[in-house]
Amino acid sequence: MGEVILTMKGIDKSFPGVHALNHVDLEIQKGEVHALMGENGAGKSTLMKVLTGIYSKDEGTIYFEGKEVSFSNPKEAQTAGIVIVHQELNMMGHLTVAQNIFAGREFRKGSFIDDQKMIEESNKIFKRMNINIDPTETMSNLTVGKQQMCEIAKAISHDCKVIIFDEPSAALTESEIQELFKIIRDLKKQGMGIVYISHRMDEIKVITDRVTVMRDGTYVGTIITEESTKDDIINMMVGRVIYEDPKTKSNVPKDAPVVLKVEHLNAGKMVKDVSFELHKGEILGFSGLMGAGRTETARALFGADVKESGDIFINGKKVVINNPMDAVKNGIGYLSEDRKRFGIVTGKSVAENTTMATLEKYCKGPFINKKKEKKTAKEYVKRLATKTPNTEQLVVNLSGGNQQKVVIAKWLVRDCDVLIFDEPTRGIDVGAKSEIYHLMNELVEEGKSIIMISSEMTEILRMSDRIVVMCEGRKTAEINIEDASQESIMHAATLRD
Amino acid sequence: MDTLKNIPIVRKIGFNKIVLCLVLLIMYGMFSILSDSFVNYNRIISALNYAYFLGFLALGVTFVIGTGGIDFSIGPVMFCCAIVSGQILSKSSLPVWVCMIIAIFIGVVFGCFNGFMVAYCKVPPFIISMASMQIAKGAASVFTGAQIVKWPMAQDQTNGWFRNLVKYRLIGDTPRDVTIIPTGLICLIIVAIVCAVILNKTKTGRYILCLGSNKEAVRLSGVNVKKYEMLAYVICGILVGIASIFFVGAYTTVQPGMGDQYNNEAIAAAVMGGTSMAGGIASIGGTIIGVLIIALLQEGILAIGLTKDYQLVVTGLIVIIAVSIDIISRRKKN
Repeated sequence: MGEVILTMKGIDKSFPGVHALNHVDLEIQKGEVHALMGENGAGKSTLMKVLTGIYSKDEGTIYFEGKEVSFSNPKEAQTAGIVIVHQELNMMGHLTVAQNIFAGREFRKGSFIDDQKMIEESNKIFKRMNINIDPTETMSNLTVGKQQMCEIAKAISHDCKVIIFDEPSAALTESEIQELFKIIRDLKKQGMGIVYISHRMDEIKVITDRVTVMRDGTYVGTIITEESTKDDIINMMVGRVIYEDPKTKSNVPKDAPVVLKVEHLNAGKMVKDVSFELHKGEILGFSGLMGAGRTETARALFGADVKESGDIFINGKKVVINNPMDAVKNGIGYLSEDRKRFGIVTGKSVAENTTMATLEKYCKGPFINKKKEKKTAKEYVKRLATKTPNTEQLVVNLSGGNQQKVVIAKWLVRDCDVLIFDEPTRGIDVGAKSEIYHLMNELVEEGKSIIMISSEMTEILRMSDRIVVMCEGRKTAEINIEDASQESIMHAATLRD
Repeated sequence: MDTLKNIPIVRKIGFNKIVLCLVLLIMYGMFSILSDSFVNYNRIISALNYAYFLGFLALGVTFVIGTGGIDFSIGPVMFCCAIVSGQILSKSSLPVWVCMIIAIFIGVVFGCFNGFMVAYCKVPPFIISMASMQIAKGAASVFTGAQIVKWPMAQDQTNGWFRNLVKYRLIGDTPRDVTIIPTGLICLIIVAIVCAVILNKTKTGRYILCLGSNKEAVRLSGVNVKKYEMLAYVICGILVGIASIFFVGAYTTVQPGMGDQYNNEAIAAAVMGGTSMAGGIASIGGTIIGVLIIALLQEGILAIGLTKDYQLVVTGLIVIIAVSIDIISRRKKN
């Protein structure tokens, strides 16, 4: 047992209508990796936000290095030595990597900023992390995975004693995760206390020493990772066992008609001559490393971004898709990887978001029939088991998994034949995840077709009937599920020219 | 405070609107104490005259701010509408109703231009509305040779009737015994109700506010966001045209090259009323109360013996306070 560095005792926090934290305890030791687990909305992020002074607590005490502390903003927590790597990236896209890392505490040469020193220091950090990023590159040019690495670099560049990772692996590829783990083990050796929030059970087993589980804003318990099984942890989280094996056989009949055919699609640097077919009732998995061009392919197909060339056929008929309006008219729905930016309108209600793509169906002349709208919204809240007090609740007040369900409801109401699910379970807990898998299976049984982009190998292998693998903007393989293995996919995903 | 906010009726009306109404009453009380001449029917009529045109402007800009945009051209465009159509009225034999339609049409033209540039050409609203403001001022000046334009007086036999829209002069037993009925208030309330219906009950209003909140998400839902964003500016243009009619209905004369101050007052009224500068949230009722506060302030400042220049200082301060409150409350929510 190491020395305790941080203790949170009886932390209580309420928001209007939600008791987010109900007397929660947490204890972190020096040199341990402590997992914080729980379903979406269990209160993990809220607890961390209370710790770092983003939220103020209603009740409870925090001891840091033996002294009682109370931070009123993240800067104070940072100065004391507690930093957080957020789930959402907080980067200034137009600045360089080095400028982002040292934002707010730039090196000076007289009254001028010493860019050269910032670049040197950034290089030192990257070297320590053993990753290769050019500090002079503009942040927005990096892939999400690389941006995440910069966020971590920024956090460890502080002289910190406790570092919190809020779902750091959500956007990372397998190899990047291995790099991350190396970094974490390094930090651990230096005697730092590390809080690791993640939904990925495999990672928890590999990297953490102890696990604290939360459920619905309450503290469930703390266990030692080595002495417990995966099922133990899941049971603590949800009170039920969920485990599904990879799919072994495609459920799609051989003669299923082609509903969507894409030929020689080109769009920018990230989509080069991509062709594929999607059959009726099929889940077509898109696998690849971060930045392989999968999202870009989906966006070009959906008309969200401009495409340079390529033909799209729906049910054998050539269609023109120049913008999302065309795509939706042709029965395509797109669930974005970035829910906050591209999925939900956070300031609006569940009902308003649910009918976003189908509002004309709920209109009499120019007027909206709010009763009918509410009825539909209620129906889908029930069908998807969305946790919300009512349909008038603003989406911003829902947890990630429930927000995702609202976005899915938007497309289900639209009754699209082709659904593109881009990272449908990113940042979503085990319970909601299996619900979404269930729903996807239900949809294909109804005769809908799904393109699923996923960076999680287990998800790809569990859900897909067929797998398209991309690398650097090109399609490098198309594998039937019967022949698919982690190795074969990884091989194709790294097949560079 | 929070329990007060949760009373059903308070929730329905909106806490901030109740606060605004209290502010309005307190201001009225304050001016009544400070000035002997303030409690007077003519003062109220005078304040209302100011509230009409400002009200239409503020209603218009509420739609634009709802999309997350801004329009700094509304004041000068209103003057441009009034000047050009007034000049046509005085130089031709067209009936006054035709000229009123021309006024609204000019407002729509500016609205279409601003909306098109913002929605389809992606020019920042701030820039394009500044440019429109200059164009409106210049065009009006050129059209009249920088002369003042006079609209007909109420006594005018053929064309004077339009002023009844603003105030109806009820003539008693003797010609000097005139009672003024504020018909403009009725017009303003009717238009405000129409605006509230458009904003809250129609597809257009829904999409205007949604795109103000997260334009990209709405676009990726297959919605024609450009159309709805432009529409907000067009609605604003119509209301600016209507505002111009009520301006000349109350004050008769218009001078080219002016009108900037009303931009700020209209925007201040909207923001004070709870419309968020970031877009996505807008309140028609709040805007109207905001307009009444500013109109009362204008009249009150004159009544307690201060000059017009103080009005400018006070409205400037109101803009700062209203926007600060908007930003602080938004930060609290996050």
